[in-house]
Formats: sequence, structure tokens, C-alpha cells
Amino acid sequence: MTLPSFVSRHQFLIYRLFSLSGLIPVGAFLVVHLLTNASVLGGAASFQSRVDMIHSLGPLLIPVEFAFIFLPMLFHAAVGFAIIAGGLPNVGSYPYMGNVRYTLQRATGMIAFAFILWHIIQLHWLGAPLGGGRFDPHHATSSAATVIAPLGVSLLYAIGVLSAVFHLSNGLWTIGITWGLWTSPAAMQRANVISIIVGVVLAAAGLGAIGGLRSTDVAAARQVETRMEDFKRMMEGQAPGAAAGGHGAAGSRVIVPAADAIDLRGPSEPSALVIPTPTTSSSPPGN
Amino acid sequence: MIMKTDDHGGPTAARTIPVRVLRQDAPGQESYWERHDVPWEPNMNVISVLQKVAAIARSQDGRPVAPVAWDCNCLEEVCGSCTMLINGRTRMACSALVDRLLEEHPDGIELRPMSKFPVVRDLVVDRRRLFHSLQRVKAWVPVDDSFDHGPGPRISPEEQEEAYPLAECMSCGCCLEACPQFTRIETPKRDGETDEQLAARRTAAFDQGFIGAHAVSQAVLFNKHPTGKMIADERMAALTGPGGIQMCGNAQNCVAVCPKHIPLTRSIARAGRSATLWALKKLFDR
Repeated sequence: MTLPSFVSRHQFLIYRLFSLSGLIPVGAFLVVHLLTNASVLGGAASFQSRVDMIHSLGPLLIPVEFAFIFLPMLFHAAVGFAIIAGGLPNVGSYPYMGNVRYTLQRATGMIAFAFILWHIIQLHWLGAPLGGGRFDPHHATSSAATVIAPLGVSLLYAIGVLSAVFHLSNGLWTIGITWGLWTSPAAMQRANVISIIVGVVLAAAGLGAIGGLRSTDVAAARQVETRMEDFKRMMEGQAPGAAAGGHGAAGSRVIVPAADAIDLRGPSEPSALVIPTPTTSSSPPGN
Repeated sequence: MIMKTDDHGGPTAARTIPVRVLRQDAPGQESYWERHDVPWEPNMNVISVLQKVAAIARSQDGRPVAPVAWDCNCLEEVCGSCTMLINGRTRMACSALVDRLLEEHPDGIELRPMSKFPVVRDLVVDRRRLFHSLQRVKAWVPVDDSFDHGPGPRISPEEQEEAYPLAECMSCGCCLEACPQFTRIETPKRDGETDEQLAARRTAAFDQGFIGAHAVSQAVLFNKHPTGKMIADERMAALTGPGGIQMCGNAQNCVAVCPKHIPLTRSIARAGRSATLWALKKLFDR
């Protein structure tokens, strides 16, 4: 069987999986991702503890990322580009709101795809050559703040995040029509209000994270992260400081106690730092 | 515009309306613009403009030209045959009133054939794909038979009120013309190809293309009908087949341009719900 005939025979299934994948898992991931990032507004320790929680998956993290994020996203993008290629936008002749949204849905999908590619390649491998830097999960806030520090990079992130948020919240509305959840014009209008609220909240979270990183004191954040890193090492019986730059698999197994369990004030009050010993810790070390 | 005084002493405008028509002499040929000056009269519609163009039979620069060809029939927006692009938008020529058009575009009127169907000549297009889509979804009540089956089931007034707006569809094709997901399929005759071969190739091409909002809505109409729903599964198979309802991109232009104000997006969403349930049924009940 040739590929075109396979695609044609299973077009309905493929398009419905495309629609579903935009919500679950890709859309759901975007929500978690943006809300996690927004935790940087609560300080470097708050963001770091969430990043540590994600990285506590250890060697499972990569397969989980591929199964629930990258592959569904690539599928969604591949089908999406095929759909875009088959359409003929005509918003110039028919400038109705629905048609504007149809066109924006396609434009933001392409922008978000390009942005996500750049976002992943830059944070994982390339680092500085494309502006900004690399992401270090052990220094989440300080490295992300360094990445986003150039104004151009921040603007690109704002455009990318807003495109992805529009694509998801508008997609939320169209998914409901596609699957037949809301059918009457009145129900579509109510669903539209909800999708706009979702979009505004996510846009606020995404832009909030960018703003939070931009206003971060990198040196102070780095000190907080180093102390948290040292604490993790200590819980594993390793000497503090030995973790500098280390990213061992062993370190990933320990779940750090909630950030507020440790007094992590800035470098201006170094004497106030109190790291609880394992015996006094409210959450015992893993294994 | 020349101002003069009418018989009653009041000023009237003995004005001409510049009309631009995108003409094409035969299928597959190059199209070209032609300008006409048409004397204004009260209460004109685009059909009467085209009648005047035919009567004058000269372009703006005085050249004798063949009359512009167009389709029309009922002249009261129920037959659906005079669809064309008037000032860039799809609508019925019979209900496009010249004075309203000039309020929006004082510079004149632009007429083009529909862009989603092959041009036969000038403003006449070949809309057989539109009817082929109705055949694909079996948009009828299957009662052709030699026997008397007695009276059909009763339809409640509530059901009638739901069905009536959908039954107003006149197959004008405005929803298809405005749809960004519905793209033109043209199968020009190849050298040495017989009419039968061409028809088979055209049908195969139509079968892969998007059925369009009108066919989705008609499928919903006949799947609600107590006798029509006897072949509901066949309609659902067509709706979820290649070029089926999944091709809809939710631009919702169809409902915005429909001259009969048919709730097409409600039909599409209902068909989407039916398709969801039908696909689950097919998956788990087989």
C-alpha cells in the first residue's frame, strides 16, 4: 500500500488524532511548562525545586519527554503542515472573526513550531551562538535568566510563547467543535469565553516567567541554587561543593524537600542560612 | 457623472456605473478583464446590470463584444444558480442590489466567476462537484420503490422547525466558495481521453476532495429524518471517509456567507459529534 492511499483511507482517524494530540499531551504539557516557568516569580528556589522534581525522573526523563512531548508534537506539526499546505486562506476577501482566527491558528502554529525548534536546540546543545546560553537543570533560574537576558531573545520568547498560547487556546475552542462538544452558536460562544480566559491566564504565566527571569539577580540565584545542590549532595552523603558542575544520575534520584523547608535567603544574609541535617529534616532522603 | 434636471424639476443623476467583468471564452483559456459602462436606473440588481451589458454589447471603449454569459433563473434567491463574486465576495447576483453595492464601493462593480469551480464561460461555472458531494452523502430520503409502504412516521413540529432551516439550502455554493478548506478541483480533458475515462477520473478526484459545508448539513438533515435515517450509517461512512468532515478547519465562513442563513456550523458540529460516536461504535462494536 502506498503512503497516499494509506493516508487517504485513514484520513479521519489521522485528523482526529491530530486534533486530540494538540490537547493531550502537547497542550497539557504546554500548560504544565508555562505554570512551572511562572514559579520563577516566587523566587529562584521555588523554580529550582520544581525543576528538581521533574529531573527526579532521572534516566526516565528522556523517554518520557520523547513519548509524551517530542513525538506527539512532531506528529501534530507534520499533520498540521500538511493541513496548512492544503488550505487556501482568504481572510482578505472574508475578514470575519472566525476566518481571522483560522488564519492566525495556522500562522501561530508555524511560528510556535519554529520557535520550539530553536528553543530546544539552543537550550540543549547550542547555547550562546544563537544568543543567550544553555539551560542547566541544576542552576535553573540563573542559567535561564542568562539565556533570556538579551532583549532580542526575550522578545523572541515573548512572540513564541504568545503564539503557542494562542494556538492552544483557540485550538481548545475548535477541538470542541470538531469532536462535537459544543454545537449551537450559543454554546460555541460560551466555550469561546472559556478559551479566551484560558488563553489570558496562560499568556500571563508565560510572559510572567519571561519578566521574572529578566528581573532575576543571576548571582544571587546562583548562590541559592548552589546551596540547594549542596544540600542534595549532603543528603546523599556527598561532600558539599563536590557537586559543582556535576550532573550525576545519582543526584537526580533525590527529591529535594520543598524549598520553603530550607532557609534560602540571599547572599546579603549568609549567616542566616540553615541547612537542616538529615535527622531533623521533615522529609527523609530517598532510598 | 453628469447632473441634469428631471421632468419634475428635481436633480437626478444620469449616471453610468463602471462594471468590471472577468471574462473567459472557454474552459482552460486565459481570463481577461473587460470594462462596461452601464446606465444607472432605480432598483437595479446585478442581473439587470448584466442584461444591460448584453443589450449594449459594447465594452467601455466602444468595441463590439459578445454578451457576458451568466447563470440565473428564479431571480428571487431561491434557485441558487446566479452565484458569482461581486466586489470580491460570493453572493447571489439577483439579491445584490446595485444601490447598496455603490454605497460600499462608489467606484463601480466588479464581477468574477466563482473561483472554486472550473469556468465554463465568463461567469458560468461547472458546479457538478457540488452535486457530486450531495450524492456522496446520499442527501435524500430513500423511498424509490415499486411497493406502497404506507404513510411514513410522523414528524413533530419541533423536529420540523429544526429541519426547515437546513432544507432551505439551494445548492448555490457560497459556503464552498468562501471556505478556505475547499479548494478547486479541475480535470481538463487529456489528449486521446474518452468522455467515459474523463468522467471516471473526475469522479475519482471529486471523491478525494472535501465534501463541503452544504453536504455536511444535508447529511445532518436526512440523518434526522425518520425515514432518511434508515441509511444513516452510509452517510456517516461518507462523512468520515476521505475528504469528509475532518477537512473542516472551523473558519466558519460558510455560515457567514450563506444567503439562506442556514446554521451550517451547528450542522458541522453535530456531524462532528455523530462522527465521534460513529467512530467509537465502529471501533468497539465490530
